[in-house]
Amino acid sequence: MRLALYVTCLVDLMRPSVGFAALRLLEATGVEVVVPAGQTCCGQPAWSAGDRPLAVDLARKAILELEAYDVVVIPSGSCTDQIRNVYPELFADDAHWGPRARALAGRTFELTSYLADVAKVEMATPEFDGSVTYHDSCKGLRGLGIQRQPRELLAKVRGLTLKEMADCEECCGFGGAFSVKFGEVSTRIVDRKCDSISAAGADAVVGGDLGCLLNIEGRLRRRGDETTRVLHIAEVLAGGGEG
Amino acid sequence: MAAGIRSQAMHFQARAGQQVRNLGLQRALQKAKPLFVGKRAKGIASLVEDGLDFGLLRSTGKNARNRNLEDLDVWLDIFEERATATGAEVLWARDGEEVSRLVVDIAQRHGVTKAVKSKSMLSEEAQLNEALAAAGIRPVETDLGEYIVQLAGEAPSHIIAPAVHKTIGEVEALFAKEHGRPLEARTSADIPAMAQEARAVLRQHFLSAEMGISGANFLIAETGSAALVTNEGNGRMVTTLPRIHVVITGIEKIVPTLDEFATLMRLLPRSATGQSISNYVSLLTGTKREGDHDGPEKTIFILVDNGRANLLGTPYEEMLRCIRCGACMNHCPVYFSLGGHAYGWVYPGPMGSVLTPLFTGIENALDLPHASTGCNQCGAVCPVEIPLPELMHRLREEQNERGLRPCSERLALKAWAWLAGKPTLYRWLTRRAARYLSWLADDSGRIRVFGLAPAWTAGRDLPVSSGRTFHELYSARKKA
Repeated sequence: MRLALYVTCLVDLMRPSVGFAALRLLEATGVEVVVPAGQTCCGQPAWSAGDRPLAVDLARKAILELEAYDVVVIPSGSCTDQIRNVYPELFADDAHWGPRARALAGRTFELTSYLADVAKVEMATPEFDGSVTYHDSCKGLRGLGIQRQPRELLAKVRGLTLKEMADCEECCGFGGAFSVKFGEVSTRIVDRKCDSISAAGADAVVGGDLGCLLNIEGRLRRRGDETTRVLHIAEVLAGGGEG
Repeated sequence: MAAGIRSQAMHFQARAGQQVRNLGLQRALQKAKPLFVGKRAKGIASLVEDGLDFGLLRSTGKNARNRNLEDLDVWLDIFEERATATGAEVLWARDGEEVSRLVVDIAQRHGVTKAVKSKSMLSEEAQLNEALAAAGIRPVETDLGEYIVQLAGEAPSHIIAPAVHKTIGEVEALFAKEHGRPLEARTSADIPAMAQEARAVLRQHFLSAEMGISGANFLIAETGSAALVTNEGNGRMVTTLPRIHVVITGIEKIVPTLDEFATLMRLLPRSATGQSISNYVSLLTGTKREGDHDGPEKTIFILVDNGRANLLGTPYEEMLRCIRCGACMNHCPVYFSLGGHAYGWVYPGPMGSVLTPLFTGIENALDLPHASTGCNQCGAVCPVEIPLPELMHRLREEQNERGLRPCSERLALKAWAWLAGKPTLYRWLTRRAARYLSWLADDSGRIRVFGLAPAWTAGRDLPVSSGRTFHELYSARKKA
């Protein structure tokens, strides 16, 4: 079986360690993991801005480079939601691309749901010395139903205690272009998220989407919190970053 | 723009900024949010005790509303026939201006000098209070929240909690001034006393007004009745004490039978306030009959289109299912950062971000469909399964199709998408971008002021990596 890792444009540019952590986790499941060379972006920013033709172009590109693999895994609920839920809709009336989009959608998984629900292999138990609180990102949670999987995986990490924050399912205010279009509003929303995180009193806040994590980390630091670590779940499960 | 509508929705961006910085407002919203969310959660959880399943109920409600809309014309005809048979009069209004004209006309014909009002968002669409006042007729809002915002000279900021943006101190200042008494220090323990105070004032208005104006949560076709769902009892006063009762409501509020009404009533109060049923549920049919102790001598229904019929058969038809519970705004992170006034027209929050452009013109509310993080907390709680984020997204697409997005945004997207389609060039540029970002960052790996996205760093730092992209590091690793 050949598995494609789609690292996402944000991980590529902003935090490569998440991509390497995902790579290690997937390789540890014993399958051949390939990082398709041409991958750039799934097109969600165009779709989200309402530019359907551009979103369609980038979706076709992603389908072409990913459809040859048995499984595609993405360390992001947001990009996975784009491929699983939006691509089939983009090509709903397209006899040529429609079936291909649907086939790819069915084989594409968010990292934690792949590890917990599909691969289900017992991995070497990672270690983490401290407590974490988990932020449920919106697209993963409400678009893909991911909620139990990251918690199941975190429960296996030795030394880790989970301290749930209040309103962990509440949006962090990132929303892609939203955070730049409506910066002040977005800051107000992430402030409430930071309040919940601080109140939980964990050593680290963990999530499955880098966009939300950059937003949360950026606001925590600006508020003067220099100690709460902000980590992608792949980094926690793989036992520390690399790269 | 539809006649009679004065919208400030184009100024959303600027108004949003002001509201975020309004500390009194932020305090009020911070207090209200957990109450709304907590009450609804309890209300939905309690369905189990009645052996009901929320998911099932929701789809039943959705399907019922869809059927209502499919044969809207038929049910409206039946309603008109049945309502007329009970002695009521049914009038039709194309838009808000026509609503105001009809109501003022009725008032003048019957020598009305004062009209008491029960909550009606449609009367806000029509700017009815202004029209009445201009004709020398005094409109008195009798819902406590509406009474407060009327005293303040403001519009409601929430469809079921019109004064949610007000702090208790602000309400006290309004009451002291209006009721001609000295200002007192107030805490939430004084709320019942303040409600009593308003009640005493309003009682006099109920007794002296010649006309009552209400909305209707639903119109029931088979009985020709208006259903009114309230908690304060003012609705009953408005609809029974004055000689004339005018019901103003949208044509989409129709349900065929009492049975369907019962289904929707399982969803509405629970979604709105968490109550299994509201304090008052009134079914108002016809006029005062012989032997009745109270009731209006004349009941007039004004059924309003104001942009609704245009949505039938379009991708936006789903919005007409809305039963105005407010759950979408109660769970919206954007709404609770701004309050309702920033949205600029009658309806705030996610439902407003869909309805305002549809009712007042897509070109007149360009920001609203974008004023969403796409979190879908609204869609997840909607009792009639309106896919609010999808509808906002459709509006974004329509803005693009009609060339309404700013040139700079379109060009930036095109340039970025073109680049994303050229992996080699993309790699080369992102490698440089990563280095540039890392060069901009301070010792702790963060950018404090980022010229390319100043809105981001106005409120947060931008954490960056070590200056290498994933793909760059990965290729190096493979070669090694």
